Amino acid sequence: MEAKNDPRFATAMTHNDADPSRKAVSKFEESLLAVLQFFLDPHHARFPKQPRRDGDGSGTGGGHHFPSKEKELQVIRNGIARPPCLSRASVDLIEDTLAKGCILFLVLEGGWRSDRFLHAGQPQRGRVWEREPLVERTLAFSSHVIEFLLWATAEKVHETNAPWDAPPERLTPADELFFWLAFDACRTDPDLIAVLRRKNAFRANPLCWISFPADIADDNGAASPDFAPVMHGLRSIILACLQQHLLKRWIQSEGKKCNTSDWTKLRQQGRAEFAALQAFLGAAAAAGRMDLARFVLGTNAALFQGDLTPAFWTGGLQGSGPARLADRLDTQRSALAVPRQMAVLEQWQERARSIGYFDDDYAASQMWKQEWEAVDGDTIARRAHAAVQMLEPLRTSAASEPVEPQAQ
Amino acid sequence: MSRAYRISMKESDTRCLKAGDEIGTQLEILDILPPEDMATLLREELEKRGFAEQDDGTMARSDGAVTVTVDPCSGEVTVKAQAEETVSQEARREASGFNDVGPNEGSLRERVKEQLKQDLNKKFEQEQSRLQNEATEKLEKHLQKIQPEISEIVNKVTRDALKEKAQQLGTVKEIAEDPETGSLTIKLEV
Repeated sequence: MEAKNDPRFATAMTHNDADPSRKAVSKFEESLLAVLQFFLDPHHARFPKQPRRDGDGSGTGGGHHFPSKEKELQVIRNGIARPPCLSRASVDLIEDTLAKGCILFLVLEGGWRSDRFLHAGQPQRGRVWEREPLVERTLAFSSHVIEFLLWATAEKVHETNAPWDAPPERLTPADELFFWLAFDACRTDPDLIAVLRRKNAFRANPLCWISFPADIADDNGAASPDFAPVMHGLRSIILACLQQHLLKRWIQSEGKKCNTSDWTKLRQQGRAEFAALQAFLGAAAAAGRMDLARFVLGTNAALFQGDLTPAFWTGGLQGSGPARLADRLDTQRSALAVPRQMAVLEQWQERARSIGYFDDDYAASQMWKQEWEAVDGDTIARRAHAAVQMLEPLRTSAASEPVEPQAQ
Repeated sequence: MSRAYRISMKESDTRCLKAGDEIGTQLEILDILPPEDMATLLREELEKRGFAEQDDGTMARSDGAVTVTVDPCSGEVTVKAQAEETVSQEARREASGFNDVGPNEGSLRERVKEQLKQDLNKKFEQEQSRLQNEATEKLEKHLQKIQPEISEIVNKVTRDALKEKAQQLGTVKEIAEDPETGSLTIKLEV
């Protein structure tokens, strides 16, 4: 995350026609670069301008920008004849775009914040480049990224039989970040997503699972991946940068649930979310990285500013739903996947309270307690618990409304 | 010369249809005493209310077509409703044809037979759906009926656990219970 807010980067992305450093690329390469920039920045918030193709079929690095993301999606859907190899100039541009784009994304999404995260079990404050040494935060991309870009540009992704996939165990943390961004950029196109979600590169991507589990899980509810690797090394640094991004994403997702009218869809979404969050929190607890689950606490804190009823999540369901009560109840419970995680976080808090000064994870526990208290975790947990209990057909009033014992 | 004919066919079947519905939930038993002691108190209370211990250690009670099962160790409650019925259904169809044009009599009979099978399946599906609704309705009614009882059980277990805990802490001087409000006051000398 060395990129910082460097004015040189903005210059590189917007150089004008008179710039002698412009590089000529073929039509295919231009499309590939456009697709790459679309993956890294689907809304053109960070890459306002695209390479321009000259009249002879070659392009240059600078010029007009596409009016919308539909153009890049069309390239992915239509495909374009693939040349035998890429020019040196285009490879340089791909590398440059990939490196700067991913770094810029991470920095803007949270790396710039002066925040506290654990490093070797101790809380460290600062921006990501202040907290982590350079050697630990260097992104390295494998050839799978280029192969995917070639495939996505050359094939009609939604109907191609050309086999492309990448073995998840061979992907670097930077690859996973890129594939996550690529998947996210394509989420507006159901045909593309239906194809991509079947690829192991996306299916076993922990970032996909923790960001949009409902999109990545299939109808039968595929098992979420092992989140243990995410809690260490570069993956944990990436995840720390994405905390605010994930927080916004989950709050938005929870707010939209009441627009879901389909019982089956809500059930599948909730099940996928519950499985992903449970696996993620389990891995975070095992690795002692509760700080990386901050977005789960934050999402609940944002939701439970006041008391909520299950209708906040299930209010949009139409009709009487499935015939069986068991299925209806399962749908409603699944919809409250996020509040149900507060039970796990509450256990973390209980454990943190029991950690003594001389225990190994004292500093980490103190940090968690501060985060819990900063959002008034006890109140949030009580409200979340009450909302979850409202769904239970055999809830007991004594248990759901505990009375504080009075000393006499 | 073309001659018309009519085929009338009837198909009947008897099937045993089964439908079921169940919900599982967790009793919120407070950890006043160690888990095994809380489980013992819950088991005793359930026994008093007609629950019988099963081979797997759970306590179960059948109320007609509805079975309530409680696991005293985990506090898991399952309420299951089942419905079973032997249903006979009959379907009739008629078809007409000509001896010289269209399908011959054999293939017409086959086609009508296939349609009759589909008709029967549809009728049984409707019956299955009706039976399912019955089972779910039974379950919903029973849940309303059993909820106060479950509340009572949890409250009773909580009260008993508190009394036992108080005895462990010191000498109980006075116990006052108000069934109206559900409050319990224990005065003890430590």
